[in-house]
Amino acid sequence: MKNWILFIITAVVVFLLGMLASSVINRKNEAKFAYTPMVKINENEPRNEVWGKNFPKEYQSYLQTLDTNFASNQGGSRMIDVLEEDPRLVILWAGYGFSKDYNQGRGHYYAIEDIQNTLRTGGPTGSDDGPMPSTCWTCKSPDVPRLMNEIGIDEYYSGKWAGKGSEIVNNIGCADCHNSEDMSLQISRPALVEAFEKMGKDVTKATHQEMRSLVCAQCHVEYYFNKKIPGKEGVPYLVFPWKNGFTAEDMEAYYDEIGFSDWTHKLSKAPMLKAQHPGYETYLTGVHADRGVSCADCHMPYKSEGGQKFTDHHIQSPLNNVANSCQVCHRQDANKLIENVYSRQKKSTETRLKLEDGLVKAHLEAKKAWDLGATEVQMESILTDIRHAQWRWDYGAASHGGSFHSPVEIARVYATGLDKVQDARVKLARVLADLGFNKPVEMPDIDTKEKAQKFIGLDMEKLIAEKETFKKNVIPVWLEEAKQREAKMDAKEPELTK
Amino acid sequence: MLIVVTFVTFALKLTPLAFNLFPYQSRWLPYAIVIFGSIVGLSLFLAKESEVISYMGDDPKTCVNCHVMTSEYNSWMHSSHREMASCNDCHVPHDNVVNKYFFKAKDGLYHASVFTMRNEPQVIFMKEASQEVVHNNCIRCHTQQVTDTKLSSWIENHDANRTDRKCWECHREVPHGRVHGLSSTKYTLAPIPTDVKKDIIPEWLKEAIKK
Repeated sequence: MKNWILFIITAVVVFLLGMLASSVINRKNEAKFAYTPMVKINENEPRNEVWGKNFPKEYQSYLQTLDTNFASNQGGSRMIDVLEEDPRLVILWAGYGFSKDYNQGRGHYYAIEDIQNTLRTGGPTGSDDGPMPSTCWTCKSPDVPRLMNEIGIDEYYSGKWAGKGSEIVNNIGCADCHNSEDMSLQISRPALVEAFEKMGKDVTKATHQEMRSLVCAQCHVEYYFNKKIPGKEGVPYLVFPWKNGFTAEDMEAYYDEIGFSDWTHKLSKAPMLKAQHPGYETYLTGVHADRGVSCADCHMPYKSEGGQKFTDHHIQSPLNNVANSCQVCHRQDANKLIENVYSRQKKSTETRLKLEDGLVKAHLEAKKAWDLGATEVQMESILTDIRHAQWRWDYGAASHGGSFHSPVEIARVYATGLDKVQDARVKLARVLADLGFNKPVEMPDIDTKEKAQKFIGLDMEKLIAEKETFKKNVIPVWLEEAKQREAKMDAKEPELTK
Repeated sequence: MLIVVTFVTFALKLTPLAFNLFPYQSRWLPYAIVIFGSIVGLSLFLAKESEVISYMGDDPKTCVNCHVMTSEYNSWMHSSHREMASCNDCHVPHDNVVNKYFFKAKDGLYHASVFTMRNEPQVIFMKEASQEVVHNNCIRCHTQQVTDTKLSSWIENHDANRTDRKCWECHREVPHGRVHGLSSTKYTLAPIPTDVKKDIIPEWLKEAIKK
């Protein structure tokens, strides 16, 4: 009898244990179905809409970068013809692409369209034609890391801009910043990694908060194309000039050391530098960076929809979303905060215009000196001053948000620029006097963009006609080729197993 | 879970006994050993499947062994606390080791039973004992903020508010958000790798740069 009881108890215990084990296994399997992605996203998947299937909220907010309605004091999301607004810029950039066409950019969603439409990229008729190298695509699309992975970095940077037109068709998006496995932030462009290496820093040590700015710093930075890298001669390799540091003086010294200039000025013959958009560098010198605020904190603040918190991928001016950006920390009224931003910007613009004025005069006075037969020895230090002064002007002007991100630093840089341009003009006055010309140099009529462009000798009608032909004949072919290529890229079914 | 642990220990204790129980020969001996072996084996299988060992540590991924915690895991994963505090830093007491593991076992056992019986709510709220623990843990790290004498002088009821109320009565978003439960996390993908040491440069880019 005792043995039977023992037998039954044992059987019951084993039965219950088995039930429990089966329950554990069942409930573990449930977890696999708790989240089922719509598609499996491949590494370097360039098509934003594929990512959008799995992450509709982020994707839909990203699509809002299509909006061009917001206008702030000096920027916003609409397109502004900057040359129209300030024709003197045509003089500053005489002999360089920016004098042809320069628009204040729209949202990320317009990256491809806008680079195709700008007169700066010209009207290439074939894949080996046009003024710009392939490198110009680098910041425009998640197709870039895909292509770099497929053909190698050097090969990607080689050739003309038009040569890669059918390969690069998706606008700046998901794969530029995100890991396709777990959506964590990652670097997709070699230039940033290489720049950190040159500074002797390890970019892989970056914290999550730093990454929320570093993904932006892959593009919103000063850069140049280095064609003299040993072993890669002739390839316009994208390089950030950060070896000495981030300030205007540090980068200027770097360019002087390697004897680099973007172009020779058409009027003054000065070896010029074009500052691109040192947004990240100037942000670093400001108080928000000092307090550990990242780009995404203000330009992509958190947003709530239906009780779900997520990052707003409508990347835009925080002035269009003060409640979620500024007011998270600052308790003041929204209008007051906007007023504070505008006052910084307006004061900064005031100084910038003074510097700009001096630069235009310096270029024209230098031209007069050459016309009167000045020698290179006489002009050398003057041209260096003009180079440095305009670099400092551009460092502030092209940093776009710089007058808010770091008003004190930008004011300082403009002040040193004013000093340099003043030096140049004093020296020019002496040279002109030596050449027998001791009165003010007459300024041409450059009231409108057209007049200014005519003055520097640009044949705008030809440029516009070339562009139109290009838009009619070449772009449709690119898009068709891209469509056929992408049709072969399959989006895989998701896997349930982890 | 504790049932399993006790059972395994019990079975282990009995095993040598079982061998010693039979100094004399019996024809039942082989059968008894086989039956004991089955029970022990089944218990070990159960322990493995339920990942018993992981419950001894502090890894937040342990808490998503059961998918019911996924939304809590995800909301924490996307909060600033993930950089500094794990689940255990807030949800188990830290006054002494014995109390820590006692509370953890008590809480864990309760969770496991509810989950096994399919009795879990869609929206999880803390019981009173747990609230006490969490509140003390807020204070443990944020002593400087809650006892700042400057604040007492100019914030009305500061003394009363910080002693009579719970932190999250005001800091309602910290850290799991105002709305709890599955509806508050879009992608209940868990565990999401939270390892901050993960390389931010993808392998393909590293190799391409080397070339």
